[in-house]
Amino acid sequence: MKITELQINNFGKLHQKKIQPQPGLNIVYGDNESGKSTLHQFITGMMFGMEKQRGKSGKNDSYQQYEPWNSSSYYTGSMRFEVDGKDFLIERNFYHKEKTAALRNEGDGEELSVSHGDMEMLLGGMKKSTYENTYCIRQAAVETGKEFSGILQNYFVNASHTGDGDINLTGAREKLKAKQKEMERSYRKAWEERRSACEKLQLAQDIAKKDLQQLEQQLEQLKAEGYQSEELWQPEEEIPMENEANQMAELLQQEQGERKEIKFRRRKSIAAVVTLIAAVAAGSRLAGKGLSAGMSPLFTVEMLLVIAGIAGIFYFRKKENEVRSESRAREESRNLREQQTDNTGQERAKKQAVVHMLKMQKMEKCSLLANLEEEIAETGKKSEREQELERQVAACELALNMLGKISENVYEDTREHLEGEISKILYSLTDGKYERITLDDDMNLVVYQDGRNLYPWQLSRGTMEQMYLALRLGAGRFFTQEEPLPILLDEAFASFDEKRLKSTLKWLAAQPEQIFLFTCQKRELEILACSGIPYGKILLQNT
Amino acid sequence: MKFIHIADVHLGAKPDKDKPWAEERKNHGWQAFTQVIATAEEEQADLLLIAGDLFHRQPLQRELKEVNYQFSRLSHTQVVLIAGNHDFISPDSYYRTFQWEENVHFLKKETIEYVELPMLRTRVYGLSYWHKELPKPLYENIRVEEGSFFNILLAHGGDEKHIPFRAESFQKMGFDYVACGHIHKPVQLIENRVVMAGALQPVDCNDTGTHGFFMGELSKERCHVEFQPLTYCEYTTMNLKVTSDITTGALEDFVKQKLSQAPEYMIFKVILTGFFDGSAPLETERLEKLEQVIQVVNQCQPDYDFERLKQQYAQQLIGKYIGAMEQLPQDEVTKLALYYGVEALLEK
Repeated sequence: MKITELQINNFGKLHQKKIQPQPGLNIVYGDNESGKSTLHQFITGMMFGMEKQRGKSGKNDSYQQYEPWNSSSYYTGSMRFEVDGKDFLIERNFYHKEKTAALRNEGDGEELSVSHGDMEMLLGGMKKSTYENTYCIRQAAVETGKEFSGILQNYFVNASHTGDGDINLTGAREKLKAKQKEMERSYRKAWEERRSACEKLQLAQDIAKKDLQQLEQQLEQLKAEGYQSEELWQPEEEIPMENEANQMAELLQQEQGERKEIKFRRRKSIAAVVTLIAAVAAGSRLAGKGLSAGMSPLFTVEMLLVIAGIAGIFYFRKKENEVRSESRAREESRNLREQQTDNTGQERAKKQAVVHMLKMQKMEKCSLLANLEEEIAETGKKSEREQELERQVAACELALNMLGKISENVYEDTREHLEGEISKILYSLTDGKYERITLDDDMNLVVYQDGRNLYPWQLSRGTMEQMYLALRLGAGRFFTQEEPLPILLDEAFASFDEKRLKSTLKWLAAQPEQIFLFTCQKRELEILACSGIPYGKILLQNT
Repeated sequence: MKFIHIADVHLGAKPDKDKPWAEERKNHGWQAFTQVIATAEEEQADLLLIAGDLFHRQPLQRELKEVNYQFSRLSHTQVVLIAGNHDFISPDSYYRTFQWEENVHFLKKETIEYVELPMLRTRVYGLSYWHKELPKPLYENIRVEEGSFFNILLAHGGDEKHIPFRAESFQKMGFDYVACGHIHKPVQLIENRVVMAGALQPVDCNDTGTHGFFMGELSKERCHVEFQPLTYCEYTTMNLKVTSDITTGALEDFVKQKLSQAPEYMIFKVILTGFFDGSAPLETERLEKLEQVIQVVNQCQPDYDFERLKQQYAQQLIGKYIGAMEQLPQDEVTKLALYYGVEALLEK
């Protein structure tokens, strides 16, 4: 872009002034207070417009600074310029109540629309802030290198990476971070709900476990006392009753006793019969033969038999009684024993039932515990919603990482590219004294000289200013997508010695950009006049 | 012979735990089971086959007593049941000691056995799970007794970890009917012959579709079964295709209207597909709070034309971002991240 004509109607201290700059180097000369800064502002205002800031903070902004005192409604101007060989005219009224801007293609008379971004397009998409930090080099800005590096850094992050100032990387990252946080919150909530459900189950589990322990203790104790019920679950085959054999023995014994008794009873009867027969025989012999019969040997035998028979009767009766009382005693003792076992048996049965019951309870607890365990394991698994949230959180993380990585890559590319541009400029500016200039991570300029890395503040003021000039021009060229914009240099070379100034001016005049060098010294004009470098002269005078 | 075949009743399950209707859902299993008993009695069915997972977990004593009581109401029906992987016979299981009614036959061995029901001239084969998992193909090569008896198999499983089997192999073994359980979706693996009863009622929201039991008639000539649906609860998917001009409110109203037309026993899983306005994502949480909605699955894609954006911003961050994301393995997280990043970059 080349400015061909500036028409200032009323702007700050400038009134009704028409300026026709040269396409190359222009020197804007004037004393202090002559309106150099005003012209500077006018040019940027013409290109990018001028916004009145709202509120108190706007007191010192450009708008109020240059709003004419005499007639605020007449705060207008126009600018003719050339882009890509075509002539355009932009007319602006900066007065905030009547703010207008008209843009026309003077070649074909086509009316263009500033509000629709036509002017922006002619400016190659450059934003005002970028312009002010690159092409538009002001005296004050040169000294605040730190601030510039911040701006540059920010610009890299926000604008150059995205290639479009509207896409805001920092904003996007903040948005993603906020989104991630929100999702993490939801995830945590779901997780905590699940955990508390799990804890409830675990509590139930603990109680059941304690119950089970108690049951087991009780069972152990009963076992120690000799009570042990049959296993609740047995193989099908039946085991014979334990005391069945004893019963059989007892039955056998009883039968034996009875048989003995009968034997004795039978023998007693035999004895009785023998006695009776002998007695009868002896009696009849006595009756028949008298006393003499008593002397007969048969009688004696008969008498002996009777006596033996009687003795036998008594003996066998005694034996029989003995056996009978023996069996009776046995029976009594059995009855007694049975009675006793009945009592202890009842007690035993009761305890056995307790054991059985405890075993059943133990089973119930075991089932309950198994179920609880299963439920805890199920509750321990992440829900679908949690998994979904987890994925979402991971996606945010991935998006953030990827943005970081790409912007870093782009940043590296951009930096190298920019460093190349700046180095080229610095090389020709310093006649090859410094050939490599780089930017460190904090966007500070670093030059390499004699095996050392040097920062601008370690160099002379003149060199430092050369470096910043190179940086800004380089950045400007780098950020411009199409035609370069006019360069505004505000007292940029005050600290240059003559030799350096001369070579700088010579270099500047050879650049493709249109340059406006604002100065309050005659040095530049004199050097240019002597060296025959072509330039335009714009004189501003105190009115 | 008339028979009823049920499986996967999952008594004691607690579906939809976090939902307001959880209490109601807890009873559905019992209600459905009771209804099956009533049907068996009404129809004077000869045989009730229960192909495993009668209980969701280890049965407690009162649960077994309740089930046994229900069986005791059957004046005519013989019941044969097995334990499945959910109610497997653990060392402490009540199943081990429980005294069933006389008409109930529990095949509790872990190897194939059969119960002979002479009155019905039927043998019912089966085994019970003694472990949660049982990856052995135990239903292969079952020797079926010769004779004029009907031979029925109760088979629980059919996936890799639970007695894998192929329906065709049963036919060769000579079973007249195979009553299968474990897979919750009812399906006749071989028509009228090998039948997966499906869960009596859905156990969780993934058991979509109709559930119920099979009622059959078995004779020497043929076997014929018919599905009998029970509708205490049914999960259904509601597939909605979203376009980018639909707002959250409009979507909510639409779903509400659909719900009002649906029968009360239906519970919906809403699946959203299609495209949504990338700069104004749908808030599906609101839908999830609606009655009769169990879950909302949002599969919508943002309406960004990533290809076009990539070209439009080729040299810029957005273009590079899209390009880089496309280089990554494409999974759900990557897709989401692509969308999130572009959304954040484009947002003013």
